[in-house]
Amino acid sequence: MSESASTFAAVKGEDSQRDPVRLLVVQGEARPPVDATTEPMVMTVPHLLLRELITLLAASLALVLISLIFNAPLEEIANPEKTPNPAKAPWYFLGLQELLHYYPPVIAGVIIPTLVIFALIIVPYFDVNLKRKSLFEANSGRTMAYWWTAMILVSLLFLLSGKHPVWPIAGCVWAVALLASFGAAPKTWGALGRWSAKKSLAYWVFYWFLLTTTALTIIGTLFRGPGWSLTLPWRDGIY
Amino acid sequence: MPLLDDIGIPLDDAELNRRSFLKLLGSGALAVAALGTAVTSVEYLSPNVLFEDETRFRIRRPEEIAVGTLIALPKQRVYVMRSQEGFIAFSTVCTHLGCMTKYEPENNRIFCPCHGSQYTIEGVVTAGPAPRPLPRFELVVDKGFLVVNTRKAVSQDTILRYSA
Amino acid sequence: MRAVTQYARSLLARLTDNKVGRSMIRHGWAETNRNRSLVVFSNFFLHIHPVKVRLRAIAFSQTYYLGGLSAVTAILLTVTGLFLMFYYRPAVPQAYHDMKDLEFAVSAGIFIRNLHRWAAHAMVALVFLHMIRVFFAGAYRPPREFNWVIGVLLFVVTLLLSYTGYLLPWDQLAYWAVTVGTNMADATPVIGPKIKFLMLGGNALSENALLRFYVLHCILLPAVLYMLVAIHIWRIRKDGGILLPPASEHDYEKRSGKGYRFEAGRAVPDLEVKE
Repeated sequence: MSESASTFAAVKGEDSQRDPVRLLVVQGEARPPVDATTEPMVMTVPHLLLRELITLLAASLALVLISLIFNAPLEEIANPEKTPNPAKAPWYFLGLQELLHYYPPVIAGVIIPTLVIFALIIVPYFDVNLKRKSLFEANSGRTMAYWWTAMILVSLLFLLSGKHPVWPIAGCVWAVALLASFGAAPKTWGALGRWSAKKSLAYWVFYWFLLTTTALTIIGTLFRGPGWSLTLPWRDGIY
Repeated sequence: MPLLDDIGIPLDDAELNRRSFLKLLGSGALAVAALGTAVTSVEYLSPNVLFEDETRFRIRRPEEIAVGTLIALPKQRVYVMRSQEGFIAFSTVCTHLGCMTKYEPENNRIFCPCHGSQYTIEGVVTAGPAPRPLPRFELVVDKGFLVVNTRKAVSQDTILRYSA
Repeated sequence: MRAVTQYARSLLARLTDNKVGRSMIRHGWAETNRNRSLVVFSNFFLHIHPVKVRLRAIAFSQTYYLGGLSAVTAILLTVTGLFLMFYYRPAVPQAYHDMKDLEFAVSAGIFIRNLHRWAAHAMVALVFLHMIRVFFAGAYRPPREFNWVIGVLLFVVTLLLSYTGYLLPWDQLAYWAVTVGTNMADATPVIGPKIKFLMLGGNALSENALLRFYVLHCILLPAVLYMLVAIHIWRIRKDGGILLPPASEHDYEKRSGKGYRFEAGRAVPDLEVKE
């Protein structure tokens, strides 16, 4: 055994950091690595349990205070004969309702949400790189050309497919495309460039998802009024 | 005591055949039972008797409605319009996402407050996300009264011919 | 003060150190690490946790306790929801009148309703933030991939709970938000109309739908939520605790003032090898 061990020892080459190659992923029995660690450990009782209790109390206190100050809204009794104008869902559904402004219900209400959930579920099953490559690490000129071509095509898809051009989504595509591009020249752009240069494609897709949901939710919540027309919250108030 | 699972019981071909047949039979029976449970559950959850509003109702006498006017009946969720040729009855429910539309006499149009769809007073979409015109309902004259049946949709060019 | 604490302890010990007490809790009260382990081992609820945790894993700055906070809101919602059920009838028009009664005729009724509503808003936000935190930590990757999937399902269940709960006050806001929602389901190709009919228990949004949403909101979805939460937390333990960034010697040195003894080392061996 000792002989074979010395013959097939895994060694770390000097270029392994720069150019890692994944040979295999060792998962073993998925045993907790706590056995193998020399990290400082503490007992769950009381250290973790106390923190959990404090979390419970702090969150309860905060919510109790909010509930003492603000009353939950209650409108008139439901009236099937009269739709209020505008009829808004709670804030976390307003991104979806904003999408309904651009796409027919089957796309905005069924296909897009299903795709988002499906994408979130499969995320861990394709992104298993041990070390993630930043987007413009190798051959940055050509990658840049591909990147912007792809981004413009994606934004065109959103500008042309809907009943109205879907500016919130296309805008977020451009914002992410621009942010990622700073990473191509980290030296020129300082901290922003260095931050951007570290991110892989998976990160940019997720940033785009976050930015888009946030933008759609904010527009739906603050900038939409009667008949789903565009309003300004500081001028017309929040509907 | 030996663990019985570790001993292993030698089986002959007949026994193996019998076992695979029973496995097939068993899983088949389970599949049928699962399907039956699913179908029964869906059937159970679909009510057969509904206490919903009457879908066939009287409106008023045709001669009481002037040419070019639109009458809104929000409770019954129907509009009745009289044009030069005759009468039409159509739904007040927006074809986009089921909000109640509102007739605006000052603009001579029908407007949906939810997502801003607009219709003519004949129910044809002119703006907004609504995918289809407002569906028309069967309209007849029965014992001197206009009678609508909102369960019976008719084609979009149906008109109840009427001239005073 | 110390004397009082000591007296309380000895009283507690005397009350539990008998046949009945020992049948329920089989370990002693003395604060030994053995007893602390036994608290976790022998408690039905606590055995979802490991006996020991890494010090870094329980730092607020590591996770912002977002998962824990989501669970706390779920507990608050269960308790307040139970309270509300004592005064609420899922019928038309009683449902709306009961809301008014909660507001004006029940002691602290409006407070309980407020707490339920605001905790629901907080839960949606916290669950979403938790998901973002986990993504940026890279903790969705193997061996934690299935726990990420459970997390996504929990997010969906949270949204469904919000959606079904939104109808229950039977006010204008509730009625039309749910009308729009069910008509979206109606737009699904082929099975859409059947789904809508099953959701509403009829052709239009009425008392049948209210009762259905009530049952889903109070029984089915919470049961699914609690089951998934239990698996979610238990799997953290099975996957070796939460994912931490590789510890550097620097990290250890920073904490050495706190009296912990340790040697520099890596939690996970470096698997980057060259062909």
